[in-house]
Amino acid sequence: MPETPALQIRGLSKTFTGQRALIDLDLELQPGEIRALVGQNGCGKSTMIKVLAGYHDPDPGAEVFVDGEPLALGVAGAGDHAGLRFVHQDLGLVPTLDALDNLAMGHGYERNRLGLISWRREARLTRKTLRDLGYDIDVRQPTGHLVISERTAIALARALSPRSTPPRVLVLDEPTANLPAAEIERLFGVVRSVRDRGVSVLFVSHHIDEVFTLCDNVTVLRDGRHIITRPVEGLDEDALIALMIGRKLEQFDMPESASETHGETVLQVRGLRTGVLQGVDLELQAGEVIGIAGITGSGREEIALALFGGVPRQGEVRVAGKLVQPYRPDKAVSAGLGLVPAERHANAAFMESTLRENVSIVSPQDFLRRGLLNRRRETSVVRSWLEKLRVKPPEPERLLATLSGGNQQKVMLARWMRQKPAVLVLDEPTQGVDVGAKADIHTLVEEAAAEGAAVLVVSTDHGELTRLAERVLVLRGGRFADELRRPHIDPDRITAATIGAGQGAAA
Amino acid sequence: MNADRDSSRAERREESAGIAGDAIMTSSPDLESQPSAAEAANPVVEADRGVSGLEPHAGEGRKRRRINLGMDRFSGLYVWAALIILFSFWVPDTFPTSDNAKIIAGDQAITAMLALGIIIPLAAGVFDLSFAGVLGVSVAIVGYLQSNGWNVWLSAAAAIAAGAFIGCANGFIVVQLRVNSFIATLGMSSLLVAAEFWITDGKQITEFNSTFLDLGTKPILGIPLPFYVMIVLAIIIYIIIEYLPIGRYLYASGGNAQAARLAGVRVNNVVFGSLVASAFTAGVTGVVLAARIGTASPEIGPSYLLPAFSAVFLGSTQIKPGRVNVIGTLVAVYLLATGVKGLQLAGAPSYINDLFNGAALIIAVALAARSARRA
Repeated sequence: MPETPALQIRGLSKTFTGQRALIDLDLELQPGEIRALVGQNGCGKSTMIKVLAGYHDPDPGAEVFVDGEPLALGVAGAGDHAGLRFVHQDLGLVPTLDALDNLAMGHGYERNRLGLISWRREARLTRKTLRDLGYDIDVRQPTGHLVISERTAIALARALSPRSTPPRVLVLDEPTANLPAAEIERLFGVVRSVRDRGVSVLFVSHHIDEVFTLCDNVTVLRDGRHIITRPVEGLDEDALIALMIGRKLEQFDMPESASETHGETVLQVRGLRTGVLQGVDLELQAGEVIGIAGITGSGREEIALALFGGVPRQGEVRVAGKLVQPYRPDKAVSAGLGLVPAERHANAAFMESTLRENVSIVSPQDFLRRGLLNRRRETSVVRSWLEKLRVKPPEPERLLATLSGGNQQKVMLARWMRQKPAVLVLDEPTQGVDVGAKADIHTLVEEAAAEGAAVLVVSTDHGELTRLAERVLVLRGGRFADELRRPHIDPDRITAATIGAGQGAAA
Repeated sequence: MNADRDSSRAERREESAGIAGDAIMTSSPDLESQPSAAEAANPVVEADRGVSGLEPHAGEGRKRRRINLGMDRFSGLYVWAALIILFSFWVPDTFPTSDNAKIIAGDQAITAMLALGIIIPLAAGVFDLSFAGVLGVSVAIVGYLQSNGWNVWLSAAAAIAAGAFIGCANGFIVVQLRVNSFIATLGMSSLLVAAEFWITDGKQITEFNSTFLDLGTKPILGIPLPFYVMIVLAIIIYIIIEYLPIGRYLYASGGNAQAARLAGVRVNNVVFGSLVASAFTAGVTGVVLAARIGTASPEIGPSYLLPAFSAVFLGSTQIKPGRVNVIGTLVAVYLLATGVKGLQLAGAPSYINDLFNGAALIIAVALAARSARRA
């Protein structure tokens, strides 16, 4: 008779209009266990965590027990009360507040007899909590000023603080994504000590090696289903990857395709550095489509912005032989670069402006006639682009906010395709885009390349890279660690290469 | 008239009487309706939105063809007309006269010029609270220099140059020192009040050049010159905002600064320039005001702050709802002035001015925000 599981999930399904993200999932976590939860992008990990956190309502019929007690589902905070604690990928700290306030948000402040906050006692308590985890942090410094490892520690401390009930289950969602190696070791030490206190840990990670270093058991999800739960012992990386992608990595031995002919080199990058990126070289020819893949924290998120000058960089970027000034998107535009950035809402969209204004913003001067903007010409040019990209509806005077996500993304694409850039950089071009629009966008990218643009696609969607790219460069730890070429490109090989396993895939 | 507005607007039109339209305040409800970053990262959720997001437009082809009374965009014009009719019946002897119309036109020129000036930074998403201070300093400089024997043109040029210089200082503080524009220009306002006292030595200056005073007070076709200066200024700013690329850059910077930057817009330069433009305009306005009143005293300035802002915000519910804009602002200025003047002629006490301005602003923007939510 096993003891009561710390966490028990039964029959958990979640359907998003027509698409099943989780299918009849069962999962049991024993007290004092460190369990890895792994799977490809879109396998349902995030959905499961969001259900546990009360952010998503599951389909009817699901049951979750924490320590044998049923958990109210779809209620934010219910899990917290039951001892189910989370460290989310973004940590969820308020950057303008210090460690003390961030911790107090979870459990309330220490009060004195008058009911006022006792800052001294609160500071002492916070310092002690952090020291118990092995971190010595200035508790009055806004967390936004702290380094990532310190912020991770604070988020962890908050998750572990006693509050009404002691923590029973700790869910860590990609906690190591942005940590340097030494800090990862330290974090693992903390996680083990937490486990030794009887807390169960659910560890979500893309890093296969971490699963082997840290975890006792591993659960694999694929396409929303539970595939297997077993001890880590007796597994090796290849076997685990095979479980994740559903088959063994096959080694195609097809002949090299005759090298396709391209135009001249239009983009040359030497020693590009910024944030995680540590000296990246890259060359792109006219008419070529190259993909860039990498897990979170590999530098994949930064490379497009760094190239375009959206963030400061070191190293050389040349377009058609001419050096482009760093950190100056306007210079990048005039040099012939175009960027459709990731996260449209923050980085590209003018939601309260018309489609016309959204499309023409890069160079409204194209529509000047006798010194004034000619709106009729602008409207007709914009309309023809909207029609070409099959934006629905193709009405230039409509506000961008009234369009669906996929159509908004096409408008962003129209903005840059109108410029006919020599180099078009697409960062997650179909993120949050429905299937139909996605296919349209892929077609448009191919058309742009056929018309002579050099296209760089940065994406976490490995199917997309397989569809579009002739070469896929794989970032690991801020460097290009692998290069896949057609015909040796497929989603599984890219996945394997990004997590640094299955070296055979490098072909 | 613009017949192709979307169906949601058509429905809103029927439900709303009186002042309505989108507002500058609509940003908060809209933010809620946008998918969060977490959701956007989840293609499943987004795809779901994509489908439902299309539906509201499906039936639009049929629905849209209703007679467009433009309640959403021209409600201010209707209210203005209603006010004119109302007061023409209420105070038939004094209100509906050409003299009264000329008085209203002339009196409001200063407020209108200031309001036009701050449209530019507001479009770019930054505040300029210091324009009233610039106005006061400009008046003081003109008065001081003329009382020391400077000629009309040199004194005016010096005052306008001072305005532009203050704008550069604002721009430097906001762009280079990265101080929030609200705080930067609030601090600057205080500095400018001090400067005004320093220039005038705390006293009234009345020794103006008489040619200069003639320019400000002699009517042309019955309306004082400041009105014409205001019209010229309005045309210039209208062209800049609507017909030059810089206008696009202004609204883009104000709408989403990060997106503007990544579209190659030099947001810092746009912000800097917008602050210079509003201070420059306030400097010009100060010269006009000096010519009109013939007195420089340290109290001039602050009283113009609220009316100008009210007019711009009220104006942003008109003509181009959700955006600060030139025509809307002019409609707002004269709508408010007409209401106030009518009430004064009908015997209302003097505080009616502030009462009416404040109430009209809150009601108009609240109605606009409400109809935007319903849309």
